[in-house]
Amino acid sequence: MSEIKKIIKGCLTGNRRDQELLYRRHAAKLYAVCLQYSGNDEEARDILQEGFIKIFENLEHYKNEGSFEGWMRRITVNTALEKFRSRHNLYRVDDIDTIQEQDAEPDNQDYAGLEANDLLEIIRELPTKYRMVFNLYAIEGYSHREISKMVNITEGTSKSNLSRARVILQRRVGSYTGIKKKVANE
Amino acid sequence: MNEKEANIDLLFRNGLKDFEVLPPPGVCENILSAVKIKSRPYIFLKIAAAITVLVTLSFLTYRWSREVSFEPSAPVIALNVPVSLPVLYNPIDNPHYLLKGKFNPVNNSSGILTVTDNQASIREEMETTDSPGQILNIQETKGLYLTKNEITNSLILLPLNTFAVNSANVKYPDLQYLPETIITRPEKRWSIAAMASPTYYSTINSGSDQLTSQLMSTEEPLFSYSGGVAFSYKISKRFSIQSGLYYSSLGQKVDGIYSFSGFQKYISSKGGPNFEVPTTSGTVYTSNPDVFLAAYGNGKVLTAYTNDVFDPQKASLQYISNSLTQNLSYLELPVILRYKIIDKTIGINLIGGLSYNLLVNNSAYAMKDGTKYPVGDTKGLNPLALSSSLGMGMEYNLSGKLSLNLEPTFRYYLNPFSVTTGSFIHPYSFGIFSGVSYKF
Repeated sequence: MSEIKKIIKGCLTGNRRDQELLYRRHAAKLYAVCLQYSGNDEEARDILQEGFIKIFENLEHYKNEGSFEGWMRRITVNTALEKFRSRHNLYRVDDIDTIQEQDAEPDNQDYAGLEANDLLEIIRELPTKYRMVFNLYAIEGYSHREISKMVNITEGTSKSNLSRARVILQRRVGSYTGIKKKVANE
Repeated sequence: MNEKEANIDLLFRNGLKDFEVLPPPGVCENILSAVKIKSRPYIFLKIAAAITVLVTLSFLTYRWSREVSFEPSAPVIALNVPVSLPVLYNPIDNPHYLLKGKFNPVNNSSGILTVTDNQASIREEMETTDSPGQILNIQETKGLYLTKNEITNSLILLPLNTFAVNSANVKYPDLQYLPETIITRPEKRWSIAAMASPTYYSTINSGSDQLTSQLMSTEEPLFSYSGGVAFSYKISKRFSIQSGLYYSSLGQKVDGIYSFSGFQKYISSKGGPNFEVPTTSGTVYTSNPDVFLAAYGNGKVLTAYTNDVFDPQKASLQYISNSLTQNLSYLELPVILRYKIIDKTIGINLIGGLSYNLLVNNSAYAMKDGTKYPVGDTKGLNPLALSSSLGMGMEYNLSGKLSLNLEPTFRYYLNPFSVTTGSFIHPYSFGIFSGVSYKF
């Protein structure tokens, strides 16, 4: 029996040591996912907590089919989506045109020097609906049809949100790269 | 999709792949303290069910083997004893009764005494007296044994359980002078019992929809209670039918529902309920306008006052609890059939039947320091539920009229409490009823 299966078995019997071991092994990766889907650290922490509680409570339903890490990630993403759905009235994206961009043009797709921390920072600055659609499409690989059902929007809105998210991201990546180069030259 | 768009997607997908950020401290403890261990109640139930089955089987086997060994194939025993010989009566049982009833000496042409009854009725026909004698040469035959008193040279017929007969307490009545009138004791067919039990309540989901699974994952059954009065009528020696009136209270706790008080002054609209909480037993609607409910992202509270619109902490509402308790009370009318497996000082019964449960009260509340804050009630409940019961009763006879009862009983509700969720959720309960019964 593989180690992860032993840990899962221990968790199912209520073994606290195994539950803690499972958390310690996967929390950092899942917290990064939570940060990616949330606008602030507090919300990310809530998603991580609720997601992990669901993981523990639904461990008996994991059938050893596919990656366990992938299964946990799906639960975490679903938890983020539930949180998003419960608050969707707050998130308005109609005023996106008013967002001011520092650099109008991206830096010719020269993304050198950008680290994961920078990418996370950039993605979290997106308006919530754009961030959701971009994460689900570009990172998780869902189709617009699937996203429309998950986020409760039309396929057209999903495509439009993705398009706008990409424009913003390209501009901000350009800004980041430019600033980084400037700092490096100095 | 143009190349630029694909590049930006790839940049983020690859850049964030396997990215890790250490979560803030304390999260692990919060998670582990909130995780419920679900498997324990099921293990407990499995063990209880296995013990019940084993004990039942053991008693059935024991009873069956006793019947095979001792029950006479025909209730007539013929002894080659002259009618004039004395017969010994049991001094232990019923010392004040002289019952002739079924003990019929027959003076036939061959001068043979014929005894026509089984062990129990012979015991009833014994009386006490003082007379010398000595029991020797015990010979066992079909629930009775034959002894010979060598002093008087007489044969004595005794039931099996009279080994302790003091030979000094015997007399030899002349059967020809036994009274003609038959003294009978009326059989006690009715009994009344008061029973009560703590009850463990839970649900079985035979459907597979995700919504129900999610709802069930946050619900925790509570220990409840049941009690009432039962009347029983003895149909035959082993069967009796029972009915009565029971009151049972069931409950469950819904986790992740945060409640606050002091909301009334912020409400602008009046009329309908402010909050709805879907559960497997139906949807809880708030009726107390002073209560604010929040689920903080798990989507279990449906309301116009989401956390984004109204923040209870900023409004300084008083926190009550992080869970909601649902309570349902039923009046129960059972129709139960009992089969007596063992009929001795400690009797064993098999119990099975159906009960009609009438919903008489339902409430939802939040608890703080032992105080209940009314929240509302559950809508969509079936007003009448039908349940089936199976159990095993143990009865300890304190006297001919009074007995103590202990009845582990499993109850399964044939129709769900609620019709709103669209799934097949069947509640069940397990209780150990105890009480006193009086026969008349």
